[in-house]
Amino acid sequence: MKKTINIPLGSQHISLLEPVRFKFECENEKIVGVDSDVGFVHRGIEKACTTKFKYDGIGYVVARVCGLCAITHSLSYTVAIEELLNIEVTSKAKYLRILLLELDRIHSHMLCLSHTCENAGFEAMFMRIMGDRELIMEIQELLTGNRIQFDYINIGGVNRDINLEVATKIVNNLDRVKEKVMGYVDEFTNNWSLSLKFKRIGALSLDDAYKFNAIGPLARASGLNIDVRNEIKYLPYHEIGFKMQTHIDGDINARNIVRLNEILNSIEMCDNILAGIPEGEIQTKYKGKPNGESVVRFEAPRGELMYYVKANGTAMLERVRIKTPTFASIPAFSHIFMGENYADAPAILASFDPCLSCTAK
Amino acid sequence: MFTSFFKAFTNLFRKPQTIDYPLTPIPKDKDYRGLIEYREESCIYCLKCEKACPPGAILFVKSDNPSQNEKNKKGLVYNYNPYLCIYCSECVRACPKPDEALWQSNKKPEIAIKSDNVNSKWFELEKLK
Repeated sequence: MKKTINIPLGSQHISLLEPVRFKFECENEKIVGVDSDVGFVHRGIEKACTTKFKYDGIGYVVARVCGLCAITHSLSYTVAIEELLNIEVTSKAKYLRILLLELDRIHSHMLCLSHTCENAGFEAMFMRIMGDRELIMEIQELLTGNRIQFDYINIGGVNRDINLEVATKIVNNLDRVKEKVMGYVDEFTNNWSLSLKFKRIGALSLDDAYKFNAIGPLARASGLNIDVRNEIKYLPYHEIGFKMQTHIDGDINARNIVRLNEILNSIEMCDNILAGIPEGEIQTKYKGKPNGESVVRFEAPRGELMYYVKANGTAMLERVRIKTPTFASIPAFSHIFMGENYADAPAILASFDPCLSCTAK
Repeated sequence: MFTSFFKAFTNLFRKPQTIDYPLTPIPKDKDYRGLIEYREESCIYCLKCEKACPPGAILFVKSDNPSQNEKNKKGLVYNYNPYLCIYCSECVRACPKPDEALWQSNKKPEIAIKSDNVNSKWFELEKLK
């Protein structure tokens, strides 16, 4: 006689922000088997990039892959094309690109933390973090003109310059956010619902993180020193005080702490950028059509994002391949669920911060 | 425990974080991205904006009664679809006369309802191209 029962989670579930379906095989309360389906929001963006749009408009198309890491997508694509066209971007444009990349990381991590609170039943904290996240949204809107779909990066530079008024507002708001995040660190370390309850739940060991190819905060929470920002030469991260944030526990609490430390590091980096932003143009002129192949990697809020672009000297590209962080982490996700209680599944899932729009694209 | 009681009490007198929206307008910055505006008299009909637009929200279509602009030799008329526009302002950067012929405002488009037939009118224009 069969001793296990199958319980689905999704594709529509109260704890999910986006549609994903997990089929858990449970033995009493314990999960013994996991099957997942992530393709519910497929929009055919890779195909559209090679059939409908010319190479200079695709930066805006790929930004629509995902709302939370829109800037990383358009930046990765733009850098891939800039490599093919041999464009040297001015250092001011590079610093402005990092500034927005880090602001985006702050608001994405804050959304994940608030969602973790909501799944822990701590609604008041959820509202507090979402309210404070507005400070970041406000400065993003001042800098780029939009809250989410920034459309800030174009081939050869950035679309808008920063002025003193906006820079002052950014510094003031980041100071306020820093103060608030310090308060969250206290809550996430000492509050029973957010720290002790999450200890040793959904743990991933260092060996398993290595074996299952975990990336992003998920891997760093297990002690794996992996961050694309540390490896790329294109953006000057080493000049603005980037520090790798790792933890050794690998459980839900460790992931939250890693995210909080990353927010603090990002705020520090933004302050450093604004303190020493160089003078100069924000746009480099270019000519010609892309030809050849290029691969570009960047650190999105959820981990490594990879773009492969193949062009043939015409305005239409031959291939655009997007490898997103959540897609690469699915084997690690499935492994973490094994041996856990079914009741913990929504909290574990929220701690991964999965982005299904990216994954299904 | 005392501090939590104190906080709960003071919260009664704090202002909400949200805006009382229909009564209080949402604060708007002059640089927010909104509708693309066009002045026909200054346009030189180079069609660079039409080529630069990623979603194709600007169309110059031949018309029977075009404007009296002397640069308009082909008899074209400017058409703009605010519901297709992504407000990226690529057209403004491509324009040889930005701020005179084409510029970005911070206004919002009006809400379109079904009887406006926004899509079918635009599809008709695309057929003329």
